[in-house]
Amino acid sequence: MAIEDDVTVVGGGIAGMTAALAAAREGVDVRLLSHKDSTLKSASGLVDVLGYLPESDGEGPLSDPFEAIPQLPDAHPYRTVGVEGVREALAVFDGVVGDRYRGDHTDRNALVPTHGGAVKPTARYPASAAAGLASDDRSALLVGFETVTDFDAPLAADHLESAGVPFAARGATISFPGDFRVDAKITRFADALDADERVAVQGDGYTTELPVREALAEAVKPHLRGAERVGFPALLGQHRPDEVRESLEAELGAAVFEVPMGPPSIPGMRLEGALTGACREAGVRFTTGNPVVDYEEGGRAGSEDIAAVRVERNGAAIPFHADQFVLATGGLVGKGIDSDREGVAEPIFDCHVPHSGDRYDWFADAAFGDHPFARFGVETDDDLRPLDRRGDVEFPNLRAAGAVLGGHDFAAEKSGAGVSLATGVAAGRSAAKEVSDS
Amino acid sequence: MTATTDVLVVGGGSTGTGIARDLAMRGVDVTLVEKGNLTHGTTGRMHGLLHSGGRYAVSDQASAEECIEENRVLRDIAGHCVEETGGQFVQLEGDPDEYFEEKLEGCRECGIPAEVLSAEEAREEEPYLTKDVKRAIRVPDGAVDPFRLCVANAVSAENHGARVETHAEVIDLLGDDERITGAEIRHETGPGKRSHGKSGETEEIRAEYVVNATGAWAGRIGEMAGVDIEVRPSKGVMVVMNCRQVDTVINRCRPKGDADIVVPHETTAILGTTDEEVEDPEDYPEERWEVDLMIDELKRLVPILGEARTVRSFWGVRPLYEPPEVGSSDPTDITRDYFLLDHEERDDLHGLTSIVGGKFTTYRMMAEEISDHVCDQLGVSATCRTAEVPLPGSEDESVLDAGMDRFGLRSPVARRSTQRLGSRADEVLSSVEPNPVLCDCEAVTRAEVRDAIDQSGTDLNAVRIRTRASMGNCQGGFCCHRMASELHPEFDEPQAYAALDDLFEERWKGERHALWGEQLSQAGLNYALHSATMNRDRDPADREEAIAFGEFDGGQRGD
Amino acid sequence: MSDAEQPTNPNDSNDVNEVRHEETVSDDEFEPVQVFPESEDMDLRPGSDDCYKCSTCDTNCPVAEVDDDFPGPKFQGPEQWRLKRKEDTDIDDSVMSCSNCMRCDSSCPSDVPLSQMHNTARGEYVENQMDKLSREYVRNRILANYRTMAELGSKVPRLTNFLMGNSLVQAVNEKVLGITSEREFPEFAEETFREWWEKRGGPQVRSEDKRVAYFHGCYSNYNTPAVGKAMVRLFESFGYEVVVPKQRCSGTPMFANGMLDDAKRAAGINVENFSGLVEEGYDIIASCTSCSMSLRQEYPELFSYDGTASVAAHTYEALEYLRLHEDLEAELADAEVDAGEFAYHAPCHARNQGLAGQAVELIDGLDGANAEDVGDSCSGISGTYGWKDEKYETSMKIGAEMFEHMEETDAEAGMTECPTCAMQMEHGTGYEIRHPLEVLEEALVEGSH
Repeated sequence: MAIEDDVTVVGGGIAGMTAALAAAREGVDVRLLSHKDSTLKSASGLVDVLGYLPESDGEGPLSDPFEAIPQLPDAHPYRTVGVEGVREALAVFDGVVGDRYRGDHTDRNALVPTHGGAVKPTARYPASAAAGLASDDRSALLVGFETVTDFDAPLAADHLESAGVPFAARGATISFPGDFRVDAKITRFADALDADERVAVQGDGYTTELPVREALAEAVKPHLRGAERVGFPALLGQHRPDEVRESLEAELGAAVFEVPMGPPSIPGMRLEGALTGACREAGVRFTTGNPVVDYEEGGRAGSEDIAAVRVERNGAAIPFHADQFVLATGGLVGKGIDSDREGVAEPIFDCHVPHSGDRYDWFADAAFGDHPFARFGVETDDDLRPLDRRGDVEFPNLRAAGAVLGGHDFAAEKSGAGVSLATGVAAGRSAAKEVSDS
Repeated sequence: MTATTDVLVVGGGSTGTGIARDLAMRGVDVTLVEKGNLTHGTTGRMHGLLHSGGRYAVSDQASAEECIEENRVLRDIAGHCVEETGGQFVQLEGDPDEYFEEKLEGCRECGIPAEVLSAEEAREEEPYLTKDVKRAIRVPDGAVDPFRLCVANAVSAENHGARVETHAEVIDLLGDDERITGAEIRHETGPGKRSHGKSGETEEIRAEYVVNATGAWAGRIGEMAGVDIEVRPSKGVMVVMNCRQVDTVINRCRPKGDADIVVPHETTAILGTTDEEVEDPEDYPEERWEVDLMIDELKRLVPILGEARTVRSFWGVRPLYEPPEVGSSDPTDITRDYFLLDHEERDDLHGLTSIVGGKFTTYRMMAEEISDHVCDQLGVSATCRTAEVPLPGSEDESVLDAGMDRFGLRSPVARRSTQRLGSRADEVLSSVEPNPVLCDCEAVTRAEVRDAIDQSGTDLNAVRIRTRASMGNCQGGFCCHRMASELHPEFDEPQAYAALDDLFEERWKGERHALWGEQLSQAGLNYALHSATMNRDRDPADREEAIAFGEFDGGQRGD
Repeated sequence: MSDAEQPTNPNDSNDVNEVRHEETVSDDEFEPVQVFPESEDMDLRPGSDDCYKCSTCDTNCPVAEVDDDFPGPKFQGPEQWRLKRKEDTDIDDSVMSCSNCMRCDSSCPSDVPLSQMHNTARGEYVENQMDKLSREYVRNRILANYRTMAELGSKVPRLTNFLMGNSLVQAVNEKVLGITSEREFPEFAEETFREWWEKRGGPQVRSEDKRVAYFHGCYSNYNTPAVGKAMVRLFESFGYEVVVPKQRCSGTPMFANGMLDDAKRAAGINVENFSGLVEEGYDIIASCTSCSMSLRQEYPELFSYDGTASVAAHTYEALEYLRLHEDLEAELADAEVDAGEFAYHAPCHARNQGLAGQAVELIDGLDGANAEDVGDSCSGISGTYGWKDEKYETSMKIGAEMFEHMEETDAEAGMTECPTCAMQMEHGTGYEIRHPLEVLEEALVEGSH
C-alpha cells in the first residue's frame, strides 16, 4: 500500500482541477492523476456557462444564463447540480482567478468577438479581453499579423459589422516587428512581448533596434485613425499579459484587448496556470505523465467499491489507493470517451455510455447539425455517480465531472467551462464529505 | 447572353478536359462547360490508380494493352501528376495458383513488364504486407492525381485559346430533331465565377458541334437531345486512410472481387472498392457495410489497416456502358471499354457525339479518338499532339534542390510543394511574401492557395483539389477558415464566409463515414473549435433579426 | 506503434512488477520496418494517425518558445513523417535544434510518439545529411560520448579539473570545437563511484528476495559519486542487496545528438548485462532520471535487442522504487534532518516518467527539510545541448523562467535528480544543488551525518 490518499481525481483539465481543489479545501488529502496535457490549452480561455438552449434554432444568444438553466432537459448536468451549484462553482472560480478574469459583476452574458469574426456569449472572460466586448460602443481596430494565419483582422471586422455590432470595426494586417520566421509559434511572439526583446526595425533606409512592445505600437499607429480600442490575436504575453497590454495602451493612447483564439490558446494556458497554482496552494498532489488504465475493486467500504486505480508505466502497473474517486477525463476530445467501429466506451472503469449500436446514428448530416456524438458521455445519479445500463450506480465511491458527462452538447450550448466547474466543485465536495463522514 | 464556338464540350472530367485540350491544340475554337468544378463527376471520385493494365491482363486484354501504352504516355507528359509507385499483385496462402499463373502470362502477352517476387522480396518492398503472402507479381502500376491532371489539361486548353466554364450547367440543348446547334447554360450560384456570366444568369452557346463527355450523366444530355443512351452507372466506395501504410499499389491477385486494392495516393492510402449498379448517378445510398468491407477485407493483405485511422470515404460512379444487346446482369461483367456514339449514325441526329464507358488511365486516347472524329466532321486536318507535348507544370523534370531554402520553407514543405506544382514551383512559391503554411497536414503554403484562387475564384473546393489543402488529418478543421481568409479583400466578406461554409460542409460529408476512434475525436475537436470557440454554428451574422446588444454585459469601463 | 493497442491490463494480480511480455512490445502483426533500405529504423508514418493537430506539443516546447529557427514538435514529428514517401530522405535540418527534453511526449493528449519521431529523424539527418568532417559533427560526437572523455579525465582528476577550468583551454574548446566557454566544466571526482564500490568490497547486504542492480550512469560515477553512495547506503538500510554490473552510458546524450549507432552499441551492452540480472530477480535502479527514461522508453522505441522489454519494465528511479516497495512516507515521518529549504526543479525526463511530484511530496513529510517546486519550466540545458556554443544562448533563455522561480523561493539551495539540470541550476543562480537521495540518506541511514 505504497501510495494512498483520501480522494484521487483522474484527469487534469478544468473539471479535474476544480474537483481536486474543492475536495482539498474541505481538508482531505487529494491526489490528481493526469496522463497528458488537458484540452485547456486548446480552449479559448473563456468561461462559458450557457449561451443557447439546446434545440433553440435561431434563438439566443441568452442574455441571462441562470434564468435559462431550469429549462434544460433533465439529463443535463446543470439539472443535476442546480442553478445554485453553478453559482457556487463560479464563486470558487472567481476566488481562484481574482482580477485575471472579469464578468462577475453581473449575471448577464457578455458577447466576446471570436477569431472567426463572430461574437459569442460567455459568462467570464480574461481581463485581457474585457475591452473587446461587443456591447461596448467604442470604435475598434482589429490588428492581425501576416503569419498568424488563424485570424484575418479585416475579414473579422467586416463580419462583426454584418452582425450589427453597435460600433465601427476596422481591420488591418501588419507584419509582426522583428525578424521572425514565418512559422514562428504564437508562444514565440508571446515570449518576445513578455521579455520586451529588442528587435530590428526597418526605417526609411536605415535599421534601428527597438523594444518589441514599442515597435509593435509603432507598426499599429498608422492604422489607428482615431479608433478607441485595438484588438490583437491572443498572444500579448504568456506570463506578463497585464504589463504587455499596459505598455501598448500607453503607446497607442487606446484601450487594448485580445481576441481569443483556437489552439494553441495562450489564455487557456494562463488559466491552466492559475488553476494549477490554486491546487498546489490547497495541497493537491499531482502525479502526471502516465495513463490510468484500470482499477482494483474491493475498497474499504465494501466489495463494490473501487480500491485503487492502476497507472500503466512501461509494462508495470502502479496502484494508487484512495477512499473516493473522481472521473474527470474529458469527452471525445479529451479522450475520456473512446470509440471504435462497433461502439463507444469509457475506457478506465468501463462505465456505461449510452449510444446507438449503429455508428451511422452518431452524427447529423450537416456539419453543424444536432450531433448525438456531441452528447456522448456517462449518465449519473443526483450525486454525480455514473449509472450502469440498468440505471444503478456503477461504483458507490466514483463520481464524474466535466466533459466525460453525457447529456449536453457544450459546443452548441456554449457551456463547456461552466459544466466542468459546476460538476467539478460538486463532485469534489461530495467526495470529500464522504471521506469525512466515514 | 449568347456566344459562339466551333465545338462545345460538355463535361469537365478527364475526358472532357482531354478533348478540349486536344482540339484546342489543333487550332479548333473550343468551349468547355462543367456544371460543378472540374472533376466534379467521376474523375474526382476515383482511387487514383494509374493502371499498368495488370488488372485487366486476364479478363480484358484489349483494355490492358491500352492501359500500358497510356501509362507510359502519362509518365512522359504529366510527370507532376504521376507518382511511379510500382504495383504488386499479391497472392496469399490459399489463393489459387492457376490464377496467378494466368495473370503472369496475361501481363506478358499484353507487353506489361511483370516480375515475380518471393514472399520475402514482396515484404521487403512493402514491410506492412501480411506474413501470409505467398508471392507477388510486380507491375508498373502508379498513382495519379486526377485533379491536377484535369486542371493541367484545362489550363493547356485555355493557353491554346479555349474557354473553360465551370459551375455552368447545361439546362437545354439548342436545335431540333435533326441537328443540335449548341446549348443553353445556367451559371450557377456556386462561387467561383470567372469573368463570364453572373450567378443565375443563362447563356446560349451556339456551336458547330457538341460533344457529350458527361460520363455517367450522358443519358441526361441524351434526353435533352431526344436520344437514348444506355449508361449503366455503377458505384464504388473508396476509403481514405490518414497516412501511407504502403508505397506501392497493392492488388489482391485473385479473380475480380470487392475490396482488392490499396493505392498510395499523395499522403494517404486509398482502399477500394465495390461495384454496385445504381439508378441515379447523383442519388444513391452510401452504406456502412461498404466501408467495413474495405477495412475487413484489405486488412488481410495489410494487417495494420485494421488499426489505422481512416479520414473519410467517398463514392464514385463508373459510367459503364454496354451495347443494349449484351445485357449483362452483373455490373462487374460489363466491359471497361469505351464507346464513341455518333448520334448521326445511331439516331439520325447531326452535330452531337457522346463518349461513354472507358477509364481514367486511357482518357487521352479516348480524347484523341473523339477529337479525330470531330475534326473529320469539321473538315479540320490537324493531327493530335497530346501524347508528345507535356502538360503545363511538367515541361521539365523539376529537380528538388537545396536551393528551395531561398523560399524560407522547411524541406518537407518545399518538397511537397514541388511535387504538386512541378515546373511552376519557382514561379508560384516566390509570388507571396511572407509565405506561411496554411494547411499543416498537407504542407500547403499561402502562395499555393492564392495561385489556386487566381485560377478558380471563390470556389474553395476547387482550391482544395488544386492544392490538397484541407485533405489531411484534420479534414479542414484547422485550415478551412485560413483558406477562406485568403479570398478577402479581393472577394467580399459574405462571399468569403459562403465559400468557407461550402468547403466545411463538403469535408464533413466524407468525414461522416470515418467517425470512430481518432477521427471521431478529431470531429469532436473540429466541432468544438468551430462551434464553441468561433460560434460559427450560431453565427449572429446569419440571423434574421439583430441581437439586442444592450441586454448583454458591456464591461466595466475604467478598470 | 499507435495507441490503438490498449495497454495490456495485468490480470487481477496486485504485483507491481507485472512484466509486459516481449510480444506485446513489438506486436507480432507489425514488425519494425525500414523507411530507408540501408537503415534499420521504424516506419513512423502510422504514428501520425494519432495526431489531431491540437498543437499542445508546440506550446510545451521550450525551444520553440525562444528559438526562431525551430518550427516545433508538431511539424518536426507527425507532420514531417506523414509527408514522407519511401524515396524521400531529406530531413529538415531544424531537427538538430530539438533538445530532446521530451516534453512534447508528456503533453500530447493523443499519444503521438513524438520523441521517437524526433530521435529517428535526427538519426537520419546525422546519417545522411551531416558532414562527418564538420566541426559540429566532431563536437557532437565528443559531447555524446561524454563517458569516454570522463574515463580519461577521471584517471587524472586534478590535472583535468585544472585544465578544464583553465580559460585558455576553454577558449580553445570554443574556437576549435564550438563548446561554450561560458560554462564551468564539471569537476571530476578524486575517486569514482566504481572505485569506491570496489574498495568497499561490493555488496554489504545479501538477500534472496530484495535485490536491485544499480545503473549509476556516467555522472554519478565520475563526477558526483556521493549520489551513488547515498543510493547504495539507503537501499542497504532497507535490506536490499545492491549489485553494480558493468555498464555503458545509457545513451541519452547520443539520442540527443542523433548518434544512434553509438547509442545502439551502448544499449546492446546495457541490455545484455542487465537483462540477465532481471531474470535472477533483480530490479534495475537509476538515480539519474535521464538514465531511467532511456532504459524505460527510448530503448524499446528504438532498439529490438532480446531483453529490451524486460529491462524497460523492471527499471525504476530510486525514490519511486522505495516508495512503491517500502512505507517510505512513514519512515520519513519519524525522521528528521537539518537540511533546510530547497528550490526543487523537476527534470523534464522525471516529468515524462510521472515522477515530477514525488521528491517534494516525500520531503514535505520530513522534519527539518522543505522543498518548494519551482514550476514546470525546462532548465534549458538538456544534457549536452546547452554546452554547444550556438545553443548556449537558447539554453539560458529557456532556463530564465526557472532561475527566476528559484530566486523567488526562500531557499538558498537547489534540488533535482538530473545532473545536467543541476549544472544549469548552479550556473544560473550560484546555489549549491543536492540530489533528493542525499537528503533521504541523511534522514534515514544511521551514522551518515
